[in-house]
Amino acid sequence: MAKQIFRLKVNGDNYEVFVEPNRCLHEVIRDEIGLTGTKEGCGTGDCGACTLWINGAPVTSCLMLVGEGEGAEVTTIEGLARDGELHPVQKAFIQHGALQCGFCIPGMIMSAAALLRDNPHPSELEIRQGIAGNLCRCTGYTKIVEAIEAVAAGSR
Amino acid sequence: MTTSPAYTAIGKPIGQIEGPAKVSGKGAYTADVALPGVLWGKALRSPFPHARIVSVDTSRARALMGVHGVITGRDLPDVLYGRRMRDMPLLARDRVRFVGEKVAAVAAETPEIAAEALRLIEVEYQELPAVFDPQEAMGPGAPRLHDDVSAYPGHREPVSDLTNVFSVVRRTKGDLEQGFRESDLVFEHTFTTPAQHQGYLEPHAALVDIQQGRIHVWVSNKSPYAVREQLAQVLGVPEEQIVVHLPHVGGDFGGKGALMDAPLCYYLARASGRPVKMVMTYLEELMAGNPRNTGVITFKTGVKRDGRLWAWQARCVWNTGAYGAFLPIPTVNVAGGMQSAGSYRIPHVEIESLCIYTNCVPRGHMRSPGAPQVCFAVESHVDMMARALGMDPLAFRLMNVLEEGDTTPTGEALRDVHAKETLQAAAAASGWDTPKQRPHHGRGMALYDRHVGSGLSTVTLTMAEDGRATLTTVAPDTGTGSHTILQQIVAEELHLPLSQVGVTVGTTDAAPFDAGVGGSRTTHITGQAAYRASQELKGLLAAAAAQVLGVAADALRLEQGSFVATGSGAARSLPVAEAARLATRAAGGPLRVQITHDGGSTAGITSFCVQVADVQVDPETGQVTVERIVSAHDVGTIINPLGHQGQIEGGIIQSLGFATSEELVIEEGRVTTLHLGEYKLPVMKDIPELVTVLVQHPEGPVPYAGKAIGEVSNCPVAAAIANAVEDAVGVRITDLPITAEKVYRALRAKP
Repeated sequence: MAKQIFRLKVNGDNYEVFVEPNRCLHEVIRDEIGLTGTKEGCGTGDCGACTLWINGAPVTSCLMLVGEGEGAEVTTIEGLARDGELHPVQKAFIQHGALQCGFCIPGMIMSAAALLRDNPHPSELEIRQGIAGNLCRCTGYTKIVEAIEAVAAGSR
Repeated sequence: MTTSPAYTAIGKPIGQIEGPAKVSGKGAYTADVALPGVLWGKALRSPFPHARIVSVDTSRARALMGVHGVITGRDLPDVLYGRRMRDMPLLARDRVRFVGEKVAAVAAETPEIAAEALRLIEVEYQELPAVFDPQEAMGPGAPRLHDDVSAYPGHREPVSDLTNVFSVVRRTKGDLEQGFRESDLVFEHTFTTPAQHQGYLEPHAALVDIQQGRIHVWVSNKSPYAVREQLAQVLGVPEEQIVVHLPHVGGDFGGKGALMDAPLCYYLARASGRPVKMVMTYLEELMAGNPRNTGVITFKTGVKRDGRLWAWQARCVWNTGAYGAFLPIPTVNVAGGMQSAGSYRIPHVEIESLCIYTNCVPRGHMRSPGAPQVCFAVESHVDMMARALGMDPLAFRLMNVLEEGDTTPTGEALRDVHAKETLQAAAAASGWDTPKQRPHHGRGMALYDRHVGSGLSTVTLTMAEDGRATLTTVAPDTGTGSHTILQQIVAEELHLPLSQVGVTVGTTDAAPFDAGVGGSRTTHITGQAAYRASQELKGLLAAAAAQVLGVAADALRLEQGSFVATGSGAARSLPVAEAARLATRAAGGPLRVQITHDGGSTAGITSFCVQVADVQVDPETGQVTVERIVSAHDVGTIINPLGHQGQIEGGIIQSLGFATSEELVIEEGRVTTLHLGEYKLPVMKDIPELVTVLVQHPEGPVPYAGKAIGEVSNCPVAAAIANAVEDAVGVRITDLPITAEKVYRALRAKP
C-alpha cells in the first residue's frame, strides 16, 4: 500500500507523517511520533488501554485509522500535565494506590479526566459506568474509584 | 491490633515510586523501547492441533519488499526450550502439536509488511490424530504426543507408564486403606476448572539488539537472570554475552516467566543485521500464551460421624497442553496439586498430581499455580460434606482446620497457626450467624493457606556526597509496588526522607544473580537484601561519624536522622548527611555496598485467608450476582498498606473472573474465545463490595516481621461463591465458571 502524508495535531504540536493509510492511529502516534504513553492492549477496542481524546472525546484509538485523526485536536496522556504539573487525576492515582503495573493507566486516566471534566461530581455508579470501558487486571478497580472520588471531592 | 514500633516509613501508605512515570505515560514497557533501524517480527502459527510438516516454502515471503529476514525450524539449531524440562522447539521442525504453535517467523520494516509476508509462506501439513481431553490422552490407544519424555533435558522425575503423562507427584500420610475402614461415611466428588488466561493487559513483547558481540534483550519477563540462563541455553552462547534490560512489566500474574519470542528476535536480528521487536497480538496471547492448567480434581474422603476428617484421597489431573516447557518447578508439575487436601488435620492422606500432554495450548504458571483450582475443589467438597452431615460449614471447618502442633496433609509442621482466629474473624465480619434477609440470597465460606517464598536476591546501595541513597535492584516490579517497599526500607534504616532515596533498576550486568519475581518471595528476599545493605551502609557512615565525634562506632546510635554519641556527658551528634559528606570524601567517591541475600528455608511459615461471599441468585435465569466478599487475612507487619490492600483486592477480582466469567474455551484444540470481548475479564461494573479483615501478628521472615500477601486472596473466591450459590438456591456447581446457564440448568434439573 502506497504511503501518504498525514497531518496530525497532537497535544498542540503539529506533525507530518508519511505512512500507509491502513495504519492505526495509536500505532502512528507511538511509532512515528514517538509518544508511547498510549498503549496497545487488546487491539480490538475491548480493553481501553489505547484511550486518547479526539477533540476532547475519549476514543479507543486502536479502532481508528490514521486519517481519522486529521483535522482534529488529539490529546494523549503526555498532553494532560500542564507546565510540568501532573493533572489532579494523575496525582490522585499515585496517592490512592490506583495503579499497579500501570499499563492500563494512561487510558484509564484519559477516561477518568474526561468524565470529571464533563461531570465534576459524579456518583459512584456514574464513575463505574464512566470507566467501564477500561480494563484493569491488577487493582480490582476499588482504588481507582476511590482516586476518582477523591479528585471530585477535592474540586468541590 | 498489635502496637508497632514507631516507624517513620514502614507501615505508611506510600504511593508507588514509579507512579509519576506510569501516570504520565513516560515509563517504558518493552514495546515502547525504540531503537534506530528496528524491524518488526511476526510468527506464522499452525492452524492444526496435530500435524506433520511436509514442506515450508518461504520464497515468496523473502521476495516481498521490506522483508529482511525469514526463518523456519530448519534454519535454527536443533535445540529445545523449557523453563525446567526442555521439550519445545523454538519453531516447529517437522511436527506441530497445537493450534498456534510457531512454524516460521519474519522480520520486516512495519508490522503490516510482516503480516503480509506471513500470508505468502506456504506450509504443507499432513494432519495427525489428535487428543484434547486429558483423561482420554492417558488411555492406551491415545495418540502419543512425545516419543520419549525421559530423554528431554531437565526432566528429573520418573516418567509414568500411562500414555502422555509426563509428571506424577504423590504424597502419602498415614494409611489410607485403614483410614477408609475406620471412617463412618465416605464422600466422592469430582470438580473441573477451565483454562484461565493471566489477563495482563500488556501482551508479551521482546526486543533483541546485537551490538559489538553482545546480545541486548528487552522482554516482558519477571526474572531477568532466568531469561539470561534460558537464552544462553537455547542460543548456545555464554551467559555473560547476554545483557537483559528491565523495562516496566505490564502485569505478570505468573504468566511472564518464559522467553516467548526473544529467541526468534535473536535469530531474526542475526539474519537481518538489525534490531528486531516482536509484540504478540492479544489474539495470539489468548490462542497461544501459557494459561492456567485445566484441572479435573477428584476426591474420595472418609469422615467420622461426628464430623472429623479421617481419610482423604485426592487426584489432580492437569491438562498441560502440548508442552511442559512453561512449568518451572523441579517436578515439572503443578505445585497447587500438593494442596489438594486443604488446610486440615487428616490422619490418612494420599495425594496424586499428574501432568498430561494434549494437543491444546501449553499451560504455564498463573498466580498461586494450581491453588485456585484445588481450593475451589477442596472447599466445595468440604462444604458438601458439612451439609451432608447436617453441620454448619463454619463449625465443620473449625473442627478440622489445622492448629499449632498439627502437621499438614503432606506432613509439614507449621508454626504460628492462626486458622481458627481467621475463620472467626471472617465469620464475625460477614455476619455469618445472622439470618439472611431475602429469598435466594446465599452465603458461602472458603479457606486457604500459603507459605512465604524464598530464594536469592542481590541489591546494590550507594550513597552520594549529598546524602542521597540509591538502591539498584535487578528484580523487576511487575506492578506490586515491590520497588516502593525497597525505598521505604532504606529510608527507614538510614533515617532519610523518601525523597532522598531513589530506586533504579540495573541490567543483568549489575549483579551476579537475582531470583526475580514470583512464588510469593519478592518482598521477603529483595526486602531482606535491602535491609542488610542499609545496615552495612549505616556501618560505613557510623565509622565516619565516630571519627569526628571521637568515639567508637559502636557507641553511636542513629536517632532522628543523626548519629548520637551515647554515654558521653554533653550531647554530641552528627547528621547523616554530614556523615555522608565526610565518608564519601574519605572514600574518594560514593559509598557502595552490594548484598546477595539468601532467604533460606521458610518451611513451616504460612498465612491463612478466609473468605465469605454473599450472593443473590435469580431463580428464573440462574444469574448469580456477587454482592459482597469478606476477606480475612492472617498477616504480619504490613510494610505498605496501599500495596498490601491492592494485592488483596486485585487477587479477589481476578478470581471473581475465574469463578463467574472467565473461560478460555477450547474446541477440538482451538481456542475460540479469541478477544477480550469473548474472554470476559471483570470490568469496573462487576465489582462487589469488598471488606478486608486483618488478623495481625508481627511474625514472619519479611523485614519487620511480615508475611506474603500476593498469592492468597485469589484462592478461596470460587469456592466461597459456589458454596453461597448452593446456600441460596440449593444447587451445586462443580464446574467453573459458575455461569447463569449452568445454574439455570441445575435449577431445572432439581427434583
